[in-house]
Amino acid sequence: MESVAHSIGLSAVMTWTLLKVLIVFGSVMGVSSLWTWVERRGSAMLQDRIGPNRALLFGRWQLLGLPQLVADGLKFFFKEDQVPPHVTKRLYWIAPMLAFVPALIGFAVIPFGRSFSYQGALYHLSILEPGNGMGMLYPLAIGAVAVYGILVAAWSSNNKWAILGGMRASAQMVSYEISMGLAVLAIFMKVGGYDPGEIITEQAGVLWKVLPNWFIFRQPLGFLVFFVCMFAETNRLPFDFAEGESEIVAGFHTEFGSMKFALLALAEYAHMTTASALIATVYFGGWSVPFMPEAPVLLTILFFLIKLLFFMWVFVWVRWTLPRFRYDQLMFLGWKVLLPISMVNLIGNAWWMTRGGH
Amino acid sequence: MGVIVKKVELTWLDRSYVWPVFKGMAITFRHFLKQITTPTSKRFTIQYPDMKKAMPPGYRGLHELKRFEDGAIKCVACFMCQEACPARCISIEAEEFSELNFTQGFEEKRPSSFKIDMLRCIFCGMCEEACPKDAIWLRNEYELAAYDRLSLNFGKWDLINTYATVDGKARLAQSQESPATPSRPTNSGHQADPA
Ligand code: SF4
Ligand code: SF4
Repeated sequence: MESVAHSIGLSAVMTWTLLKVLIVFGSVMGVSSLWTWVERRGSAMLQDRIGPNRALLFGRWQLLGLPQLVADGLKFFFKEDQVPPHVTKRLYWIAPMLAFVPALIGFAVIPFGRSFSYQGALYHLSILEPGNGMGMLYPLAIGAVAVYGILVAAWSSNNKWAILGGMRASAQMVSYEISMGLAVLAIFMKVGGYDPGEIITEQAGVLWKVLPNWFIFRQPLGFLVFFVCMFAETNRLPFDFAEGESEIVAGFHTEFGSMKFALLALAEYAHMTTASALIATVYFGGWSVPFMPEAPVLLTILFFLIKLLFFMWVFVWVRWTLPRFRYDQLMFLGWKVLLPISMVNLIGNAWWMTRGGH
Repeated sequence: MGVIVKKVELTWLDRSYVWPVFKGMAITFRHFLKQITTPTSKRFTIQYPDMKKAMPPGYRGLHELKRFEDGAIKCVACFMCQEACPARCISIEAEEFSELNFTQGFEEKRPSSFKIDMLRCIFCGMCEEACPKDAIWLRNEYELAAYDRLSLNFGKWDLINTYATVDGKARLAQSQESPATPSRPTNSGHQADPA
């Protein structure tokens, strides 16, 4: 590490951070774009269809429809980048980035493997070192910022459908944020801190001799609330109110084309990746391997990946199973069901803790 | 009289929304597993250019003008099909011919030209029904597309050969046909001859 760092003229810490940034953001983007493929093929399989398989690599290899990904990417790059005359130019240009970047950087605090020491130095497998004082508050805050991407995209489009979509998305995110916050609060209370590392170590061990000591088994109600809120947060079905073909055309991205549209679409998937990582970290023990307290580092990374990809698959799976909500049903669910549940969860846990429960 | 619609009483479990979600997800996942383990050829989707649907026996597709084993056309140019055709897309011209091998020297009638405009045909099968000689069949070919209108105007030789490759028969060409016998002066002959 030292020699590599020296050769590129950076300090060892800097190099390690740079490496982590490259790996994490590279894989998040890779997984996000790969998931557009999983979404299409997976949904096809869920619905007894075939899915895209006509794009061939070099006119020969079908590769389960994967070349479609390349074809779509190329298409988005080479499409004319049309800017409609009625948009607010500056906001219109930064909106896709504003949507994409928060979705991506929310991942920064999440540890994706066990910390390990090598030649006397301790290496942590998360971009921001643990104990940075932000902890889990950071992804939650960043997640809240993500609504600006959608809102700015909608507002700058200067189009009534877009504005309706943006309005819905922002109202939805705001209402679900509260329940989500209350749900994780119960976790913070139990852990006595909000660093993801602490949350994960808290979940080590065995519950009732048969289950891993994950928070899903200890706070199922909180998990339910958090999980549902994650769907609302990522604007995925059944809560995809920012868009809606039958009501508001394409919603907030009606006016976007070519790579700008691709960024907005990809932001959804990046968001999904971050949300899955959050779910895995908070409720499923993050990188910890069940029943193996001293798992090797590579195995922990593998387990984190498995959990992450599983939840991303659940996002796809739910999307192609459930019908959409109506807008008033969404608000009903957010304010009158999830909020009380999360409050009961919080207070119930507090009471349980005062009784010395665990 | 009104119909009494029975309201389904949902149990509290069903109203909780969570349990039905699990049930629904189980259903879709069953479909997922089934679809992903089924080989492509057995799936519901027929991937058209690579795979083709086998049409049922009674399917009314592209026509064929049948021929005898010796290659002579079965059609006797009786115009029944032309009359029966609701789309008026068949146009036949008749001629007479006689040949020792085919007709034992008798004069017989056959179409000199037999055209079906496939663009107008509605594939109703009336021509097949009307034909007294079983000479025109509608069969299972359905890929009827072309780049211009004229190539969908099928002539007699096109119609004879429509299923030649499928049936493994030889394609017949106009040159192989025995010449018509000008036993009677034709109309055009009359007009051509001023005398
Ligand atoms: S199928 Fe019907 S429309 Fe077509 S040629 Fe025969 S009678 Fe005419
Ligand atoms: S009805 Fe049959 S025999 Fe008569 S003209 Fe038509 S195809 Fe020929």
